[in-house]
Amino acid sequence: MSSRDVALASAYESAASEKRRKWWQIRWAETVSPLVRAALMIVILSVVLLPIIYLLALSLKTPDQVLEGLFLPTKPTLRNWVNIFQNIPLALYIGNSAVAAISGSLITLVITIPAVYALSRIKIGRLLSGLVLGSYIAPPMVPLIPLFFLAKWSGLIHTLPGLIICYGLLNIPVALWLLTGFIERIPEEIEEAATIDGASVFRTLGQIVVPLMLPGIVSTGLICVILNYNEFLFAFFFTGNATRTLPIGIALFQGERLVDFGQMAVASLIGVLPIYLTAIFAQKWLVRGLTTGAGR
Amino acid sequence: MKSFAKTSFKSAAHCVSPNRRRVGALLLLPLIFAVLFFAVYPAAYLVLTSISKSTMGKPFISWVGLNNFVSALQSDFAWSLMRTALFAIPTSLVQLTVGIAIAVLLNAKMRFRTLWRTLLLLPLMSPPVMVGVAWKVMLHPTGGFVSRTLCQFAWLHTPSSFLGEMPWAILSIAAADTWQWTPFIVILVYAALQTVPAELEEAARIDGAGYLKILFAVQLPWLAPALIAIYLLKLILSFKTFDLVYVLTSGGPGVETSLSSYKIWKTLFQDFNLGMASAQTLLLCLIVTLITLPVTWWHRRIQRTASL
Amino acid sequence: MNSESVDKESLENVFTRRVFLANTTKSALLLTLTGQLLLSKKALAGAYAGQSLNLVLIQPHKISGEVLRKNFAELTGAKLNVTIVPYDAIEAQATLDVQSGANQFDVVEYWYASIGSLVENNVLQDVTDLIIKDEATIKTSDYIRSIYDPYTLYRGKRWGLPYDGDTHVLFYNTTLLDKHGVKAPTTWDEYLIAAKKITEAEKQNGVYGAIIMGAAIPVIIGSTFANRLAGFGGEFLKPDGTPNLESDAAFKAAKALLDVAPYALPTPVETAFEQAVPSFLNGKGAFIECWTDLGVYAQDAQKSKVIGQWDVVQLPVEKKGDQPRASLNAGFGLGLSTATKNKELAWEFVKWATGYQTALELLTTSNSGIDPTRLTTLNAEEYKRFAPKVQKAANAALSGALAWPTIPESPKMMRSLSEKLNRMLADRQSPELAIRQINSDWVQILQG
Repeated sequence: MSSRDVALASAYESAASEKRRKWWQIRWAETVSPLVRAALMIVILSVVLLPIIYLLALSLKTPDQVLEGLFLPTKPTLRNWVNIFQNIPLALYIGNSAVAAISGSLITLVITIPAVYALSRIKIGRLLSGLVLGSYIAPPMVPLIPLFFLAKWSGLIHTLPGLIICYGLLNIPVALWLLTGFIERIPEEIEEAATIDGASVFRTLGQIVVPLMLPGIVSTGLICVILNYNEFLFAFFFTGNATRTLPIGIALFQGERLVDFGQMAVASLIGVLPIYLTAIFAQKWLVRGLTTGAGR
Repeated sequence: MKSFAKTSFKSAAHCVSPNRRRVGALLLLPLIFAVLFFAVYPAAYLVLTSISKSTMGKPFISWVGLNNFVSALQSDFAWSLMRTALFAIPTSLVQLTVGIAIAVLLNAKMRFRTLWRTLLLLPLMSPPVMVGVAWKVMLHPTGGFVSRTLCQFAWLHTPSSFLGEMPWAILSIAAADTWQWTPFIVILVYAALQTVPAELEEAARIDGAGYLKILFAVQLPWLAPALIAIYLLKLILSFKTFDLVYVLTSGGPGVETSLSSYKIWKTLFQDFNLGMASAQTLLLCLIVTLITLPVTWWHRRIQRTASL
Repeated sequence: MNSESVDKESLENVFTRRVFLANTTKSALLLTLTGQLLLSKKALAGAYAGQSLNLVLIQPHKISGEVLRKNFAELTGAKLNVTIVPYDAIEAQATLDVQSGANQFDVVEYWYASIGSLVENNVLQDVTDLIIKDEATIKTSDYIRSIYDPYTLYRGKRWGLPYDGDTHVLFYNTTLLDKHGVKAPTTWDEYLIAAKKITEAEKQNGVYGAIIMGAAIPVIIGSTFANRLAGFGGEFLKPDGTPNLESDAAFKAAKALLDVAPYALPTPVETAFEQAVPSFLNGKGAFIECWTDLGVYAQDAQKSKVIGQWDVVQLPVEKKGDQPRASLNAGFGLGLSTATKNKELAWEFVKWATGYQTALELLTTSNSGIDPTRLTTLNAEEYKRFAPKVQKAANAALSGALAWPTIPESPKMMRSLSEKLNRMLADRQSPELAIRQINSDWVQILQG
């Protein structure tokens, strides 16, 4: 017996010694406890949503109201919301971010899916996967300069394709970790049946494994899209005026003579809206994606 | 471990034929190429520049052996390594604890669970720049409501600078980081909780164990390997913290909140000293590996006992 | 985009042709004449039509970039692409652009104190001969003496032309001063007493005597310190190039900064102009040392609540009777990137952008962020009318100014200074200790 089994057994025994539940224990479990739980949940959610609601409040303030230091605006105004698209090319930023994020994610998937199959089913490339996962320890600064020079030589600097390729490469460790978790959940028997019937590896991959893994692929893809959309460091150096992405656009507000926090808040909220909507509608996929790692 | 269990049921088809191996290699080809570009080439570049005197315009001016490393260790960078470790280890632990608590809460039967889960995801989805700016305005001494509210309740006598004084500056960064990443841990722990065999929990409940007893006697011991893995992941992420420092404090006051990632960025983009920045990066990777090694070893040990 | 006061008054002076021509942006015909004198015949003939020029500009000068883009296109047909970067990232961006080989920029706006560093990193081109050749258009003697050399000279050669001549002056809220019977201070001691008095009386209303910019950025806390250093007669470097901070003047300057901090808008360590300027414009502070264009914002109905309630005066000095001395805080020039592929057009642009007519137009455009670099623009009638109080103060300030070091190590030295002074304020350390640390750090940096 392992030490864990011993622990479990002793837990059982002590729990079992309480033969009957006291009346107030039942009362607690049925009425008070749910209320306490709900109350706690509300407290937690208010902390979670606080900065976001604050940004909303900020977006309704004029610059002098921002200085007041209050939470809610004293005289809410929609001026920032109305003006924002005229003041900065927000649509361009969001467009660039979206294109870079989605394309980068697709590249990551195309590279990682076959690799995961090879790793998990054909059982080669253990060293490679170790290298990939280990490289995740390094700060993003490591590939920044070498890739910057590479982009310059190929003329891809300040273009979206250059940024997309970087995003495609950067998230491979994350995708590998997640997809490995997903593929291990799929029983091999179905594929073995196909192999015995004479299907080639590619057919097995394309017609059996990928469809089975689809939820996992979608989750991984979504997570990569979100990581790319919010990425700051590479976007800072690989984008120019026309290819600027959203996080850089928001950061630019900071350098002005008179920083307009209201406008900055609006830009942030509108910019983050696509991601929030994705999170809300695809939350099931996202949670599935994030949870595979824990089950290993 | 799952794969451990599977190997005892291997069929003949598991023996990998040479033909399959060749196809496998083909499937790995894109990954190999990608790895060359984002791992091997940068790593080689990193190592070579770290032992050289280089700027970005003139790389490899001369070879200086270990001078960059020695300089880095004698400068504030050594302190920043300690600062980063002292930041990463406790904050990850706190986030793990809070995450477990919230996940347990979420796990109990409750209505609107999907709604709570969705809302919990939002901080995770927010761009760090946005998070930084929101927190920065909130914490400003005169313009932010935190200071003002605390003054109103007389917990503070004068408007206080959270981002300009220690220890509040680093605590503020920790708070913003916790806000952003705890949901990540909540989701992972919540999912892990689903894997605890229902029979065990039922049995304990029937016998009269209360929530806390179930948690500590049944759920946590069962999840120990997963929890350590989650802690490890968050630890590695914490060492890379950059965006929050950049937006909230720019490393200040003085250099008190200059975490290593930020310091490397400064060496590279303000002093343009590529050689030094590379040396600093290697030192950071070394420290991260040293610190995560014990945790990895502990994880493996717990896993081994679990599957006996 | 001229301010209202100028439009009203231009009617009165309709007979003055020079004013009429230089003042309006409404007529395209007149626009064509503005700055025409600064361009070569070749440019005006459209030789550069359809070509592109890339300019990198700092965020606060965004509006000036738009004016330049429009006007240059109308005059020459060339397309000016303006890239805006944060003001504390301009050196990094320009250097990165050249060093990495991206070579995107033709014309670079640079902070004058970084000129040595930029030249040593091979970012700026030597334009000494070009200046001599085009002296008739450029009129180098028209540049304000105390500005011209620091902004353009390094190692005996010239590397650009002045674009934005920044200096600090002391703004004050007349309503607050009158309310407490305080006169505009002339010495730093008087300033401290006045600030203290007003803070103690007003702080429960959220109003403070002084607004101090102490964020750890060189042009922010460095400027605040430099104002005092100038007033106490100090210098950053000795004539032989060694650090001069272990001097009486530097100690007193640091002490003056530390002394006023408790009476300043909370909290100096976090205050840059993003908070400082709106606070003053909302009447939350009595004194602020700031760039001269604050005077323009202060009269802008959309931004200011203190219209007509402010005035401006020279920065205080050590003792009564001393000559006021400005510090060249921030300040930018335009230079040619070594990576430019269109040197001819780039130089045409730089000459034009820094010339009298263009400078005057930018000067009198609201929010352009541009301040005078030439004697003629500084003393121009239009500028006097556009910002009368500011013009007077700026005029007096620019003789005998304190220039920041322009050696290659200067940016690094200024960052060290900023960090340590910020720390001094945050931890309430002793000024002597802080100054000594800065000085020894500088010695180390200069030794390489």
